[in-house]
Amino acid sequence: MKKENLRMQQPEMDRRQFHSRLGWLGVAASGAIAAAGNLLYLKPAVDYGPPTRIRVGRPEEYKEGLKEIYENERIVVVCEKDGFAAISVKCTHLGCTVRTSDSGFECPCHGSQFDNDGFVTGGPAPAPLNWYQISLTPNGELEVDKSVVVPSGTYFKV
Amino acid sequence: MAPDKSTEKKSAGMEFFENVYRSIFRYGRIPQDGEGASYAVFNNLFLHIHPVKVSRHSLKFTYTFGLGVIATSLFLILTFTGVWLMFYYYPSATEAYGRMLDLRSSVDFGFVLRNVHKWAAEAMVFFVVLHMARVFLTGAYKPPREFNWVIGVILLLLTLGLSFTGYLLPWDQLAFWAITVGTSIAGYAPVIGEPLRQFLLGSDSVGQEALIRFYVLHVVILPGLLYVFLAVHFWRIRKDGGLSHPSENEPQDVAEKGAEL
Repeated sequence: MKKENLRMQQPEMDRRQFHSRLGWLGVAASGAIAAAGNLLYLKPAVDYGPPTRIRVGRPEEYKEGLKEIYENERIVVVCEKDGFAAISVKCTHLGCTVRTSDSGFECPCHGSQFDNDGFVTGGPAPAPLNWYQISLTPNGELEVDKSVVVPSGTYFKV
Repeated sequence: MAPDKSTEKKSAGMEFFENVYRSIFRYGRIPQDGEGASYAVFNNLFLHIHPVKVSRHSLKFTYTFGLGVIATSLFLILTFTGVWLMFYYYPSATEAYGRMLDLRSSVDFGFVLRNVHKWAAEAMVFFVVLHMARVFLTGAYKPPREFNWVIGVILLLLTLGLSFTGYLLPWDQLAFWAITVGTSIAGYAPVIGEPLRQFLLGSDSVGQEALIRFYVLHVVILPGLLYVFLAVHFWRIRKDGGLSHPSENEPQDVAEKGAEL
């Protein structure tokens, strides 16, 4: 009877097991923290890419109906009677540069087609082309901000 | 008297070289007897990839076509030519393309190294896939070799990773758009897609950051990992009882196999 009681009182793990598990927990925790630190280190913190704000000339240089393509910046600036718009020419499928076509834009890589407003009319592209915000700088130049996406069909009067 | 002196001198010199030789090869000259030859193989880092005893079946060329050895040899060639290319290549968005052109046209034997690296890379992917097909068709992925198949799959992925990261380095139009498209495909993966794309490119688009990241992956991280897993792969071939052979699952072989282990 007494023996039974003693056995009941015995803890589920002994001292050695407890310390061993504590040690392994420490190893696992420090490993996890080190892994998280390394991943965080590799996450780009500073963007060395091209600037998101692009100057595209003065409004009076544009005529109504004109489409000005900026190849390196990968945008097309459209001038309509409603105002100015900047549409991305980066295909929403896999990032190739689309070219203008009779019906709007088309992608040379996998054949996606877009209308003049950048909406998908054919091919694998999953989303319409981005439209970006345009503003006027104090010295009277148009500035496109590629970090601000606006709804398709938004024209900016300047 | 004189001839004696000269032989004494010669033997002293010989003794030195013999000591050096024996410090490297413990068993002196290659022993001709079975046991001695076995020890010589067993105690040599490069030779001990082979078991001391090889089954007659394993020596049949048409069983493996040496595909794994070919893939490994190509990787060694790629390491060698890659290191030599590194002397001239510079992973900079403004320099890389020009350095590649210089290697191709100006540097002595530069075009040889570059082309050997290129074709060996293409061939390595090809032979790794063939090797995998051979292992599959001969059933060599079955227990006890199932874990080595997993290591092999990791090696395949590392090979493809090396192939992909190396593709950007010439920094020409082909490289730029291939990596633009390739990383966009990675971006479509659920949950990890976008972080993975960011990790690879270090930016939102292919640029200097992407070039340096692909370079580090290509010349240090992926080959380093590949060598580690290659070592494990070879070690497991030995530990799993050498090449697979048709008779090993037959009952009369079980006792023999037990003795081997």
